[in-house]
Amino acid sequence: MSGDFNRLLEAVVRIDVREVTFAEGARRFVAGVGSGVILSNDGLVLTNAHVASPHAVEISITLPSLERVGAKLVGWDHWTDLALIRLDLDEVKHRRLAFQHAAFGDSDALYAGETVYAVGTPYGLTRTVTRGIISNNRRYFEDPGGVRGYETGAFNTWLQTDAAINPGNSGGPLVTEDGRVVGINSRAYVGADNLGFAIPSNIARRVVDGLVAHGSITRSYIGLVPGTLQDLEHFFALALNTGMLINSVDAGSPAARASLHGGDILLAINGQKVDGRFPEQLPPIQNMIASLPVGSTVRLSLKRGGQAMEIPVVTEKLESRVGEEWAFEKWGVSVRKVSRAFARENQLDDSTGVIVLGVQAGFPAAVAGLAAGDIITKVNHESLTELGTLQRIYQQFEAKPDSLLLEARRDRRVSLYVLKP
Amino acid sequence: MNSLFIHRYLQAACRSVLARDLRWSGLQVSPASRPLQIAAIVLVTLLPLRAAELPDLFAERVRSCVTVEFLVESELDRQPVSVPGVCIDAGGTIILPSSAIGSRVSARQLKDFKIYRPNSATACRAEYLGQDVLTGWHFVRAEEKLRPELVPLTAWVRAGTPEPRLADEVWGIGLRGKEEDFRPYFLMSRVGLIQPMPQMTAIAAAELGGPCLPVFNRDGALVGLTLNSFGQNFLMFSRRERGVPVVLVNVEESSVFLFANEVLPYLGRIPRNVSGRPLPWLGVFGLEPVDPEVARFLQLENQSALVVSEVLEGSPAETAGLKGRDIVVALDGRPLPRLKPDQVVATFVEREVDRRRPGDELRLTVLRDNQRLELKVTLGDEPKVIREAERRYFERLGLTVREFLFGDGVARHVKLAQQAGVIVDFVKPNSPAAMGGLEFDDWIREIDGKEIKTYAEAIAALAAIEADKDRPEFVLLTSRGSETAVRRVKLK
Repeated sequence: MSGDFNRLLEAVVRIDVREVTFAEGARRFVAGVGSGVILSNDGLVLTNAHVASPHAVEISITLPSLERVGAKLVGWDHWTDLALIRLDLDEVKHRRLAFQHAAFGDSDALYAGETVYAVGTPYGLTRTVTRGIISNNRRYFEDPGGVRGYETGAFNTWLQTDAAINPGNSGGPLVTEDGRVVGINSRAYVGADNLGFAIPSNIARRVVDGLVAHGSITRSYIGLVPGTLQDLEHFFALALNTGMLINSVDAGSPAARASLHGGDILLAINGQKVDGRFPEQLPPIQNMIASLPVGSTVRLSLKRGGQAMEIPVVTEKLESRVGEEWAFEKWGVSVRKVSRAFARENQLDDSTGVIVLGVQAGFPAAVAGLAAGDIITKVNHESLTELGTLQRIYQQFEAKPDSLLLEARRDRRVSLYVLKP
Repeated sequence: MNSLFIHRYLQAACRSVLARDLRWSGLQVSPASRPLQIAAIVLVTLLPLRAAELPDLFAERVRSCVTVEFLVESELDRQPVSVPGVCIDAGGTIILPSSAIGSRVSARQLKDFKIYRPNSATACRAEYLGQDVLTGWHFVRAEEKLRPELVPLTAWVRAGTPEPRLADEVWGIGLRGKEEDFRPYFLMSRVGLIQPMPQMTAIAAAELGGPCLPVFNRDGALVGLTLNSFGQNFLMFSRRERGVPVVLVNVEESSVFLFANEVLPYLGRIPRNVSGRPLPWLGVFGLEPVDPEVARFLQLENQSALVVSEVLEGSPAETAGLKGRDIVVALDGRPLPRLKPDQVVATFVEREVDRRRPGDELRLTVLRDNQRLELKVTLGDEPKVIREAERRYFERLGLTVREFLFGDGVARHVKLAQQAGVIVDFVKPNSPAAMGGLEFDDWIREIDGKEIKTYAEAIAALAAIEADKDRPEFVLLTSRGSETAVRRVKLK
């Protein structure tokens, strides 16, 4: 192997993460292992969003020199399943630790059949190298709950490889023979033979820049759910390779307010023509919309029946359906804020309330009759528009415990509960 | 086997009669009671005779019971159904349990009603009359020639019969299947629990008969009518699984029965049409009971309350000013009773609606923002329900569509003004519709790019597609949950 490849091996790390979960009605800690690749002299490490997230309370990096050093989350982006962490540079300096860093290659130049290597920590086996080829360089792989319940894959296609990728490989690099990082290994079909997937480096490069600059990636949202036009061109009287089918429009979204609806054909975005015939062509179009500035007006060229029309739509900020999570230990309940996306998806009137993630048997919430999936909308006649409202009520309860009247809905049925100290 | 079976029960019966008489004589304290003691002795000596009457009582009362068979016809198959029923009048009217026919099944799907008497292989014809909303009973009427053979349930009513009490002995009738000529068999047990649900209901220690069959006391007087049996918790063990909790429901025999006075006043509720109309309508969704803790918090002592989850658009409840999240505390001025389980309170209110007629008034007392409000609701006639919906099957396409109903709007959060289109009622497996991704309960909004407003429009469009043998495909816009999708159905 080349010297470049050996240098790359010196830039791949093992990542041990301890993180908080709110699943069972309490705050609990779980541990996981993943991989990462050092990108710079100042200790930036790229990994997966499902390895290092804002839930992480302790991140520890094992360098190829077998030295362990702490790290902090710089930012994450579940939509592309990427996260950026930074080594504790003071510690690195103090202990005089040395490391190499890797360089990105051009993922657009990859061709099916090209040899690639996956480097990482499968099942905790540090610095494992596996070899395979690029099986497909533009795989569509959208998953509404793929990154620990968060949406992923709507804005990028993936590299598919037959290099063995196993749990623990997550966040490690997919590299060419010259040691250039062309992808970040992210997922594989469990039980299948060598169907692994990686985020292309050209996507990762942009996300890294955004996370370094802002700590997060801001995207625009208008509320279109695309479909493929494959075999429907004739029905819609379209020339081949023209337009994207709008399968659905999210209720209450900017597109819905602009009276777009399912069955419309999107021909162009701000005059730029789109072609969404096959699934793998959809993420770049979605990304075009997502890359528009939040609050800007976008001109959509549409075809509806025989009619062509131009409709202006004002973008808003893209949000996840997964809201902020918290545990109220004395009540024995963990909750997640209802987000706007969750409210739309579940046909709620608005985003008031918190969803019960879990209750602990024998604690006040469970005794009152609350169960996972309930949406608590009011406490003592106060609407829960913010998670902070409930946190404030909890503090008052801690200081002076007293019975509380809760209103919650379960499958649209509204019930009252009394939470007793 | 049957005779042994009955013999065992008779022995049990003798013992219990003895015990009762002894207890009775033990109560005697004054000399004046001597004649009674003598009577008791006489009774004891007569016991073998009295016990022998049970088979006779049984043989007579079996004549009220029948088995009703019919077919439920769907797009692809016919489902035979066989249920017990009981004759309620001299006109050959028979009632069947509510569970006999699913709530989605339309009367047009019900075919070929037949009645079999116990110990008989000869079928008589019958006609389906409809379902009563209050009791849930389905009514059928036997053909003329069978009527003299049937004895109505009311023949076993004895004036002054006491209500069943705890530990009372009660018996009923089971009916075997067709292959055994519907042989009747004797079942006996004791009352173990009495509970208002909200109707007075008894649960016996063992099964007393098929659902919707009469229950008698030791003297053969009618004391009740069996309900569908309740589920019972069991653990299931197998080689692979250890102790999986399961709920078992005995569908052939039930140990639960309604008191006779919860049955007899309603025998006259024979539906005037197969839809069971008029159907009284309040127009609320999700009446959720409060538990005793919440009632105390709301300062409601010794009574119950119900939270109204949603008030339906255009309903009598909305007209009367009822709002979602109102808490109903009284009905016609009477506080809602405390009943167990909590959910029974909702049934109580539903029954109060169902026993009325459209146009009748209902007074509700509700709590709203700590204020008590009195609302007068004039009940309406319920919008068309699923079993009444128009529907049509398109065999070549492989789907059935039905009209969009009020209830579909409720389920989909669609305002009345936006209600249009049709609902997919059936998709034939591996048909063009199934391959095109259509599923049961999808909402069809557009056909071939044209918005569908009415059921008639949808039928016309689909019939034209079905008739056109040269057509390679058609395209639908459908809704499922909160999303729409364009679906292409390939016909060639």
